[in-house]
Amino acid sequence: MILPTQDWFIIVLYAMFWPIRINGCVRRGRQPLLRGRDWFFDVRVQDGFYEGPGRTILRQYWLRMLIPFAADVPWAIWIFETGRLFQLNFLVVVVSAVIHVNHLLSKGIAERQAQAYAVPESTQPAARIVLSLAPRRLRDYTTPRFEVALAAVSLASLAWLTHYYLTSPLHPGARLVFGFPLYLLYTQVGLLIVKRAVIGWPSPVPLDHADEHMHAAEERRRYYVKFWDWWRAGSVSSLVIWPLLIALPRPTADRVMTAWLAAWIVLSVVATVIVEIKRKRIANLDALARPVALPDLRAADGPAWPVCYEPSAPALMLRSARGYSLNFGNGVAQTSAVYIAGFALLIFALTHMAP
Amino acid sequence: MFLTIDTTDARPIYQQVADGIKALIAHGKLLEGAPLPPLRQLAGDLGVNLNTIATAYKTLQEAGLIVVRHGSGAVVASQTSVERSEEELVRPLRAALTDLILAGLSTEKIARIVMRELKLAKESK
Repeated sequence: MILPTQDWFIIVLYAMFWPIRINGCVRRGRQPLLRGRDWFFDVRVQDGFYEGPGRTILRQYWLRMLIPFAADVPWAIWIFETGRLFQLNFLVVVVSAVIHVNHLLSKGIAERQAQAYAVPESTQPAARIVLSLAPRRLRDYTTPRFEVALAAVSLASLAWLTHYYLTSPLHPGARLVFGFPLYLLYTQVGLLIVKRAVIGWPSPVPLDHADEHMHAAEERRRYYVKFWDWWRAGSVSSLVIWPLLIALPRPTADRVMTAWLAAWIVLSVVATVIVEIKRKRIANLDALARPVALPDLRAADGPAWPVCYEPSAPALMLRSARGYSLNFGNGVAQTSAVYIAGFALLIFALTHMAP
Repeated sequence: MFLTIDTTDARPIYQQVADGIKALIAHGKLLEGAPLPPLRQLAGDLGVNLNTIATAYKTLQEAGLIVVRHGSGAVVASQTSVERSEEELVRPLRAALTDLILAGLSTEKIARIVMRELKLAKESK
């Protein structure tokens, strides 16, 4: 069932995506100078850097922020031309991922360029590093009641949909009944992978100002864990409303959907403001902890390629000759690869299944 | 609960990890039953191979200080290491004293250092 109200909602959400992205660009654009003009991201630069080579490096970094737009705009035009508005949802998910990957790569390139103009003593890695001995497992950052509630609500919704599909003589096709819930459940799994990656992200810090560094790292971790948990809660709430929309008579379903989508938009705006405030607080904490280069403790040479397979080294990112290399020996990298392939298959199946 | 790794230290990383955890147990900062980070977390945080941390945990397990349970991670087993003879316990002290003598320190200075370190160890416990 493609309700007429769904189209405007998807368009409104996509329209909201633009100011959020532009705000993200502004925020990322300021990041190199967050610690003042003596710094370029985490690189302590020489005097006059921004009047000389730094100007070009900064401009190239800003230009690279536009790359995701190049992928997004033609796709969006195609979606609007063909009228497949539901695909705007996938576009938002994929472009969000592209933005983050692009930022990580672009930041790495810019920092490497700036290293040539770094204050010499600042490039020396810290001799002593400190790490926390507190275990960081998924369960250490999980609220059992919250997880039980999410699981119970999801199962109840699916059970009701199955019952409705099997018993109602006027039920719509399987794609319509189960397609959207399947997409939401798959998104849940993806968000759990992201949560696991956030928790597992390494956080060794230099001995100097270890407390500030450790505090900033833990605050950042907890912020992102909470952020993704709320995303998951939002996803489950959509799963709850779906059976109502399927089963209610069309005019009532339209009204419920309109109210629901309007509430979503209001909540999204409020959530965006809260997220921005908290993000600013985390950025301030980060700015307090002065960045220090950390030593590479691996005896072996780093991998030569941007991707590698090193099962004996469990880190997700390994230092390489050209920065960092994504290690497919890491569980999160393997799960993510399988997940992305599964996501492509799911989208293919949902778009080609009979309605 | 922090563990410090010093890249200028002559001891290998696994030894520093084992000694660091041992010191935290000895000083009562890691109590019996306290969970330790999984091997993968520690190796990932330090950016070292799994074997490095596995060797450190094995050393601690052999000393009876931790128990490694498959699937549930490592926990502190005891505040005291397994029964060892006095001769065995004194051996590392003897080696350290030899190093200090070879470094040219006087007997009085070595005695002062030993007393200071002993006092520090007792205070932190």
